[in-house]
Amino acid sequence: MQIFRRVLVVLLFLTLLPLTQQVSAATPDPTEQLKPVVDKVVSLLKDAEFRKKPVVEQSDVIVKIVAERFDFREMSKRVMGKQWRTLNPEQKDQFVALFTKLLQYVYINQVDGYLDKKIEFTDQRIRRDRAEVKTLLVGADKRIPVSYIMLLEKDNWMAYDIVVEGVSLIRNYMEQISTVLRDEKFPGLIKMLENKITKLEAGEKEE
Amino acid sequence: MRRIFHAVLVSLCLLGNCSLLYAADGEVDFLDDAFYEEAPEENAVRDPFEGINRVVFTFNDYAFVWVLNPLANGYSKLLPSDIRGAIANVFYNLQEPMRFINSLLQVRFSDAGTLLTRFTVNTIGGVGGLGDPASELGFEKTEATFCQTLDNWGVPDGIFLMVPVMGPTTLRDISGRVVDRFSLSPIYYNWAAGWEESVGIYMGKEVNNLSLHLGEYEAMKKMSFDPYIAVRDGFYQLRRQRWQNSMSSSDAVVEPLE
Repeated sequence: MQIFRRVLVVLLFLTLLPLTQQVSAATPDPTEQLKPVVDKVVSLLKDAEFRKKPVVEQSDVIVKIVAERFDFREMSKRVMGKQWRTLNPEQKDQFVALFTKLLQYVYINQVDGYLDKKIEFTDQRIRRDRAEVKTLLVGADKRIPVSYIMLLEKDNWMAYDIVVEGVSLIRNYMEQISTVLRDEKFPGLIKMLENKITKLEAGEKEE
Repeated sequence: MRRIFHAVLVSLCLLGNCSLLYAADGEVDFLDDAFYEEAPEENAVRDPFEGINRVVFTFNDYAFVWVLNPLANGYSKLLPSDIRGAIANVFYNLQEPMRFINSLLQVRFSDAGTLLTRFTVNTIGGVGGLGDPASELGFEKTEATFCQTLDNWGVPDGIFLMVPVMGPTTLRDISGRVVDRFSLSPIYYNWAAGWEESVGIYMGKEVNNLSLHLGEYEAMKKMSFDPYIAVRDGFYQLRRQRWQNSMSSSDAVVEPLE
């Protein structure tokens, strides 16, 4: 009986082993994919030469790097919620373009916050095609947890939300957008986004 | 005092008896799409006083930009961050007995033990709470407020309120805060020699806290196109997250299996 059991364990082990290997080989590691992009952006932002360039130029460079790991279309879709389906293709593209631009400036505006801090990749968890990569912004007197929420698209993990200290950026924008949509409909939203972007562009130039 | 409590409770039942938004209940899991699909219109925040709240928000914004922030900025230049951290620790430690009582009211006995140990260790070993040696010994900070207790007892959130200087809250939470502040941590309010001194201590505490979080509000304001809504949503998200974290350390919540 004991031998039988031992054989069974060995058999089970042998059949399961290749399975687990297959799974881990098929799913790329989200942290490994995200880290180089984040590191690249942060080192660029810390570069004094780069920061002398006009904001519009800075953001063009950064968005190219970031687009490798951030799915701006998915972000726009989520932030719109149910309203997304009511938009026609042109409206969708218009919104994605503007919202992407806004997110770029938000990212660059955080520059000052990143300058004196170090980013540590602390943990990650994967569930099916979703992953959360946890990082910690370590400064002199505080530590801010920042999580990247990612979706597996073919072999690429693409971020669609950033959670700062437990507050989801996308969820926060979703709430703002739904209020604007309720009061001023889609044209109002587009106008508001455009205004915000011009303000961010102008505000940065003054500095 | 009793009458005031009675009035508060009655008004809570009257005004608060309405559906919650995505309040403190329900787990937040960012890997779960449900979190993003809770359409804001459906679980709309109960904000019938939005007009007044927006006025208060504008006032708070001015107060912050012109008074509170310059104060905290100057203060942060006067005192190094570790001293400001120690001052924040003292205020935090003074609230610890209140957290202990609240954790008992919420039937979180292991947390109650942790809180009692924290208070004893930090008051004696941390010289009145200047330091936080208890954390190093493995007794981590746990939040237990009367707002959570009320939530635990089934008191609904009620409406959203923007309070001058204090900021965003809900009807239930402000009642909870009043109870926490005045009945359970009397030390620095009731011992003060008059209301001016109490206000002074309160402002000192707030400025000290703010000096440790400089620039966060501005960053948020800069990136949102409706700062009022952004603050309101941020308040609810942050609170849900904090409560979830403090509850998950207790035996009440079991991590769901996949």
